[in-house]
Amino acid sequence: MEQILRTVGEKTLNEAVHNGVEAEAFLMHTKELSIEIVDGRVETLKQAEETGLGIRVIKDGRTGFAFTSDLSDKAVKNAVQDAISISVFTTQDEYQILPEKAVYPDLQVFDQDTAAMSLEEKIEIARSVERCAKSVDMRISIIERSGYDDLEYCNLIMNSKGLYAYETGNFSGIYIFLVAEDDNDAQNGFSTMSVRKVKDLSAALVGKEAAVNAIRALNARPIRSGRMPVILDPYVATRFSGIIASMVNAEAVQKGKSMFAGKIGEQVASPLCTIIDDATLEEGIASGLFDSEGVPAQKKIVIENGILNTYLHNTYTAQKDRVVSTGNAQRGSFRGLPSVGSTNFIIAPGRENKDSLIDGIDRGFYVTEVMGMHTANPISGDFSVGAAGIMIENGVLTYPVRGVTMAGNMAEFLQNIDAAASNFRFYGGKGSPSIRIKELSIAGE
Amino acid sequence: MLDQCLLAEVVQFTYSKGIDFVEIYVEEKQASNIFCEDDQIEKVYSGRERGAGIRVVKDYNTAYVYTNDLSRNGLIKAAAIARDAIHGEPSIAPQPINLIKKEAAFHINYQRLPEQVAFEEKIQYVLRANQAARKVSRLIRQVTVAAADIHKKIQIANSIGEYIEDDRSRVRLLVNTVSESKGIIQTGYESAGGVCGWELLGEVSFDDMAVKAAELSVRMLSAKPAPAGRMPVVMSSEAGGTMVHEACGHGLEADLIQKGLSVYRNKLGVQVAAPCVSVIDDATIANKYGSFSFDDEGTPGQRTVLIEDGILKNYLYDRLTAKKDGRVSTGNGRRESYQHKPVVRMSNTLISPGKENPEEIIAATSQGLLVKKMGGGQVNTTNGDFVFDVQEGYVIQDGKIKHPVRGATLSGNGPLALANIDKVGNDLGFSIGICGKDGQGVPVADAQPTIRIKELTVGGTMLANGT
Repeated sequence: MEQILRTVGEKTLNEAVHNGVEAEAFLMHTKELSIEIVDGRVETLKQAEETGLGIRVIKDGRTGFAFTSDLSDKAVKNAVQDAISISVFTTQDEYQILPEKAVYPDLQVFDQDTAAMSLEEKIEIARSVERCAKSVDMRISIIERSGYDDLEYCNLIMNSKGLYAYETGNFSGIYIFLVAEDDNDAQNGFSTMSVRKVKDLSAALVGKEAAVNAIRALNARPIRSGRMPVILDPYVATRFSGIIASMVNAEAVQKGKSMFAGKIGEQVASPLCTIIDDATLEEGIASGLFDSEGVPAQKKIVIENGILNTYLHNTYTAQKDRVVSTGNAQRGSFRGLPSVGSTNFIIAPGRENKDSLIDGIDRGFYVTEVMGMHTANPISGDFSVGAAGIMIENGVLTYPVRGVTMAGNMAEFLQNIDAAASNFRFYGGKGSPSIRIKELSIAGE
Repeated sequence: MLDQCLLAEVVQFTYSKGIDFVEIYVEEKQASNIFCEDDQIEKVYSGRERGAGIRVVKDYNTAYVYTNDLSRNGLIKAAAIARDAIHGEPSIAPQPINLIKKEAAFHINYQRLPEQVAFEEKIQYVLRANQAARKVSRLIRQVTVAAADIHKKIQIANSIGEYIEDDRSRVRLLVNTVSESKGIIQTGYESAGGVCGWELLGEVSFDDMAVKAAELSVRMLSAKPAPAGRMPVVMSSEAGGTMVHEACGHGLEADLIQKGLSVYRNKLGVQVAAPCVSVIDDATIANKYGSFSFDDEGTPGQRTVLIEDGILKNYLYDRLTAKKDGRVSTGNGRRESYQHKPVVRMSNTLISPGKENPEEIIAATSQGLLVKKMGGGQVNTTNGDFVFDVQEGYVIQDGKIKHPVRGATLSGNGPLALANIDKVGNDLGFSIGICGKDGQGVPVADAQPTIRIKELTVGGTMLANGT
């Protein structure tokens, strides 16, 4: 595959250089498999193969971009011409540059076992998630969806400054959405796991987690409004870390869209809070040898004991801030320009046992689900989200709660983290332990 | 566009013994995007993409294979993978497939297709909107303006012998503003779009949208924290129909019903909303963002009455779910692109207007919250619980609109909220969006008149006891 992509890349750059512009060819070939199981049957099986080219040209500081899924000589030539003619309309910007060539870390992101495993074995993994969930409790009444996915990719980036980067990788995942029902109530449960090595998938863990989530929520009710200590379970904490990731994004900072603007070196969070963005973690699914413009993968301590150390940069934002790219250029596919995004984004675990987090809480809320997290505002930091979980009374978990909203501000949230447990877990590219917030406002009845 | 004979050949090749249904969906699209921020045209791009998806169904199990290799070999290879995945036996004296072209019951007219309007012109509109927003106030810190268009040519051929060609164009305009004063930051947002060409600008003014978004972000700077607790909520028609789409519409999609994942299961003929409430899904309204003459499996777009005077009348179906229930598709099988199999989706969903004057609805409310603009939301279809963000809200006191509030969310339960609607206005307002389900996004429009819900939980940072 490398040879095929390389040939197209060379053709692209030749055409661009011939026209007197700087250029980057981003080529991606993906192979996708997804298996969805209902009642032990394969309800949907999807397989796909796709190749595409994204061309970025820079002419006099003006950027143009075009993409094509047709890699014939003619289509490539047209796309280069499109990109060049579009560049005329964009604003001249001295910070628009392409990265220099680089040396890449030695990182294994391709799992032979995933590639070698038969379709039947993969179907069996998907089936076992469903089986494991059902075996937990009689009240698991409906399996909405459960399944197995994997993705294999070959990614090639080359630019007119001589940069050449190629990698091939894969990852796999399982998930389940289910419903638990008793005489009075029905509640959803969900769990997922994505891994670099297929042998690390645990159908038992995912099935059980989803079932327990649904069952413990049965017959939940709202609680009286008030301010109280709140414990977020790892999944919920990763939902909040998504907001934090968007606040340390240099693109957002430079455009005045983050409350972290101008806060480097300041105490933005409690000393118990350390957040890391690590693209070099072999087991992380967001790892890679290089980012979406070919800058080598790196590990950054973004917030260290509460102090904001760095933002996440791509080549453009780094140039603008006169720093070095942190290797956080990101693109979803060949169809777009690189923006800035987190890789494996981690809230560092603490030493406490997760069960000891509730010790000494007279009246508190253990949160297992949040709804509407995307409505949190990364600029003002305000959030107000729907929440469900379990009431804490006199240091023990009591009855399930739903239909409440949890509101506050991210600045206050971060400063008020007063404990992090040791139960670290990844959900996709985001990982966290259970964390405790000293106080948040809960609106219920 | 591919040759009709080639499509027939691929369907024929795939349609073997034991298989119930075969379909090939071919898409050729051209998209462009313009993005302005920081007072400059930051990103402009254009792209072309071609691809095909082959769907094979046997006993309600689906294999879906897509590729962007549209050569005969590429398609046959993809077809073979799909057929084998579902354990179809290689063809044994199959019936020949005779494709017959289906004509649309109604056509969507396009005046100025995306490729007929020069980049320069589109960029001028974007820059002008940017200027209009920035002129509103010196408190405006950031303005983002985006325009996107897409033009798709589609072909669908299936084992029933149906053949469809469709030509679709959409334009979408967005304005986002950020205002700041004394350390407080607020945002404003406006969007418009339609299944149309750039003639959209004759109908909506990009500049007015920009001014509106900017004014909203400035106004919200003086907003007070939202009250929290249970209270009556008046939703203005301007808020659009996000609530009905999320809290009711999804629960009426037949796939969720059949899996037992909807509160509306087994409720046909039952009173599920207040008698003043009727809910309709209508793909045939001219040029709305969720309109289409054919859905993405070749069924004509339709108007479907879902709830009539509070009584549940119908669910939304695609081919597969309709067959399961012994019904016919309501033309709601939609997909994001050739990379996705069709699933049951809404088109333009609305609560029908009633008889009351919107101003009188507010005047009749002694205390509560007026919602003028909704933000994002999320809904749990199994139990009907929902949460929405309020972008623009005001306190109502003694029948009068008082100060704006920020940080409010509405949480409640879909069926309960619909049962609690006690006033329905005679106006109708639309909002547009990309609706996500099963990992695919499709364009939709939602609409509602001004309505009052007797009681909803408003989540805010200010609790009722003043803490």
